[in-house]
Amino acid sequence: MADVVLSIRDLQKIYSGGVHAVKGVTFDVHEGESVAIIGSSGSGKSTVLRCINRLIEPTDGVIELRGEQINTPVADVNQVRSRIGMVFQSFELFSHLKVLDNITLGLRHVRRMSKSKAEEVALEVLERVDMLERVEAYPGNLSGGQKQRVAIARALAMKPEVILFDEPTSALDPELIGSVLKTIRGLADEGMTMVIVTHEINFARDVADRIVYLDHGKVAEEGPSSIINEPKTERLQKFLSSINEESV
Amino acid sequence: MKSASPGIERIFSWSAIDSKSRVVILVCTLLICTIPHSSGQETITGWGEAESWTDKDLNSAVIQGEIAWVFGDSGVVRFSQDSGATWQNHTSLGDANLISADSFGESIAVLSSEGVIYMKEGVDDEWGTIESSQTGINSIALTGDDSFVIVGNGGNIWQYIDETWWNRTTSFTENLHDIDFNGDEEGLAVGDAGTILATANGGATWDYRESPDEDATIISISYFNPYRMFAVSDSGQILYSTSPGGFEWQLREIESVGYNTTLATTLSSIDVVSSSRILFAGPDGYLGLSLDQGLNVERNILPAGVNTSFNDHAMFDYVSGIVVGDSGVILFTDRAGENEDIGFQIPDYNNFGEFVEYADDMLLSGFIATVKIVVFGILLGFTIGVLLAMLKTAPTSFKNILEKYSTNQIRGLGAFGLIIGLWLLYTGVTRFPKLQLEGLEYIFTPVGDPRGFAMFVLGLAIVVISIQFILADKKLSGRLFKVRPLNSLATVYTDFFRNTPLIVQFMFIHFGLRLGMRIQQLMEGTFGDPGIDGIDYFFYGDRTFLSAIFTLGLNSGAYQCETIRGAISAIPSGQMEAGRSIGLTYLGTMRLVIMPQAIRICIPPIGNEMVNLVLNSSLAMVIGYSELSRQGKLMIATTFQIFSAWGLVMISYFVVTWTLALLLRRLEETTRIPGLGISGGA
Repeated sequence: MADVVLSIRDLQKIYSGGVHAVKGVTFDVHEGESVAIIGSSGSGKSTVLRCINRLIEPTDGVIELRGEQINTPVADVNQVRSRIGMVFQSFELFSHLKVLDNITLGLRHVRRMSKSKAEEVALEVLERVDMLERVEAYPGNLSGGQKQRVAIARALAMKPEVILFDEPTSALDPELIGSVLKTIRGLADEGMTMVIVTHEINFARDVADRIVYLDHGKVAEEGPSSIINEPKTERLQKFLSSINEESV
Repeated sequence: MKSASPGIERIFSWSAIDSKSRVVILVCTLLICTIPHSSGQETITGWGEAESWTDKDLNSAVIQGEIAWVFGDSGVVRFSQDSGATWQNHTSLGDANLISADSFGESIAVLSSEGVIYMKEGVDDEWGTIESSQTGINSIALTGDDSFVIVGNGGNIWQYIDETWWNRTTSFTENLHDIDFNGDEEGLAVGDAGTILATANGGATWDYRESPDEDATIISISYFNPYRMFAVSDSGQILYSTSPGGFEWQLREIESVGYNTTLATTLSSIDVVSSSRILFAGPDGYLGLSLDQGLNVERNILPAGVNTSFNDHAMFDYVSGIVVGDSGVILFTDRAGENEDIGFQIPDYNNFGEFVEYADDMLLSGFIATVKIVVFGILLGFTIGVLLAMLKTAPTSFKNILEKYSTNQIRGLGAFGLIIGLWLLYTGVTRFPKLQLEGLEYIFTPVGDPRGFAMFVLGLAIVVISIQFILADKKLSGRLFKVRPLNSLATVYTDFFRNTPLIVQFMFIHFGLRLGMRIQQLMEGTFGDPGIDGIDYFFYGDRTFLSAIFTLGLNSGAYQCETIRGAISAIPSGQMEAGRSIGLTYLGTMRLVIMPQAIRICIPPIGNEMVNLVLNSSLAMVIGYSELSRQGKLMIATTFQIFSAWGLVMISYFVVTWTLALLLRRLEETTRIPGLGISGGA
């Protein structure tokens, strides 16, 4: 089996208000693997994802990136984050910068690349997400799907070891979802290591190598993507049927 | 623009301004710089120019009764019967240049460069000719109706009396340039190497007088009376003697040129017309007048277009006369050539034009002074505002700072802090009784003993926090760990400045803290004396200026801070997360992501603050800074035109703030980004 890129052990998060959002989550992400985290609202999916690059400080537990614990006060959080890409539900493009500058910002100020080198890399990743034509546009002038693809390119440009997707299609109109999913699927095919929090069950089944089903802050079921077709636990069955009801 | 730099510097840089705005800014600056300084007075020449009908050099002039005669090269002679205003032709006297002339009573004589003397003994007499058969003669002086003395090169002196020539050359053989007599007995001759010769018997015998400058080439002498004898050297020195017989000579230390002994200009002629009034003439259009025996010499303004070498004066009395120069120039005066000041009548300020003429200078200087503090105030205020806003939004709590350390280390730090805190607290408290306050009066301790109070407050804060440190658990869950110290500092600052009146801040900072004086002294220590103008003076020559910009900046910063903080809060938190998620530091994200967006959003409210700052700058008058409002008061003090003065001041303020508002509107437009912020504005 391939190397473990990301290892999460007994992750706990209690918010300052006392909400116990994550109650001991444990799973591994292997090299080249795409893991989909699914679950109903409030099950702690996004919290887990944000804990991984420490946008949320976990209360307890261990997160290791290539065997090295990253949730300690002594770990260089900026360096860790530059190795973990993140794609947000609401895109979060830097709206005062053009598409190209959005992507070169991290390369120039974190990777310390020269401007021309950074632009070279940026154009390359923009080509991968099929956004070359809108290089000079401001984010405000892009459609949602285009924005999300730029956001993916921004994460890709940093050459991350793993990319975290936080519900990448939830804020999109249905007809725009396709292009984003296609891009993500392309990345999966290229062997990019990914953790995807998603509501798109069919997409999770198609793209993910493994599914982690969270319920009330715990891993209720974990397994290959086939578990969506053949859920073992009652809770996952219930969850899947509720989704099917919605879509029908 | 392929790809712009993402920093906030892009918003406020020159390159962010479009070319139209640049032109407007440059033109406005130019206009302000070129507004002419009006002057209540104007000075004009005291000379009139007369037509001489010749372009020959005129060398000498002389008065015969009511008639003025001038003599020039090639025997040119002109005369005037109306005090020099109009001139008539006269038959030339020979072909040689006429170089010197003198008068005695009704008699006049003129000397040619070939040693021929032409003489006219009365107004109605004909010209007579007397041959001297001498060459190199420079000057002639009459000692009677038909007697005279001539001097020349090589110390040559010849006396002509009773139609007979006498050689009176002495043992002094320096070239003699000029001779002058007072009456028929006493005379003086001057020349090279400081030579001064005196006679008391009409030129029969000559004595040497000690010269104050052995190297001076004394070019001209004027023997006014036994107590007033003046001479000039060609290098601009004025020699004088006040002893009868001219026994003692001195160099005048001329007050008007800083007590130098030379006027620093070449002179060719001196003419003493009263016991105090002296006229000077020289090459290169130099005419001078002294009203106090050469102590102060004022250069005459010449009529437009006249710039010749002047050779000789001839005066009817002590004010009216003529002066002649090269190229046929004749000037006449009825005020001894004195420059004429005009426009010194008492102005009628009820006449708006005259009021404006008086006021616009003051208004302009007030305007510049206001713009000066406003520009620096805005820069300082904005910087402080941004800084404070960053501090206020900084998420750094004690927990963030301390979580790297073990619980025992934190407890140790707490114990150490507790000791320091208790010591500060104790020291502070024990100082208070010295103030001898009673009861409620203790609320004034911050003023009575600032240092003690600071120790007390600091000590208290450190003690409280240290106790929390000592009680620290592993999770640092205590309430005080959530305190954000940077935020608290900024809050104290803004609370202080926003809850005290600006006018009191002005007076407290300028008179109480004497901030301007301290900064000025600091700058003087570093850069030296500011002098009275130039760049040094501009920056730290005026301590009220320093106090004013600091007060305005500190005050405005407190208000701008809240505005900018609001704008920062308006940026979705996801932007910070996005910035951090690509590995930027907190400050890096602030600088590259948050601030560029926040500043754009807060341009309209910040513009408000800046306009407020301009208007608040009027309060700088209370510390004596000469900005617009103070100039308005000063205008009223002189003119009593209250409506007009405040009206002008108001318009000036409007010009400043309106320009500022326009610039900000423009800035807002040029920096607007599609899809960012509220798309309001034009």
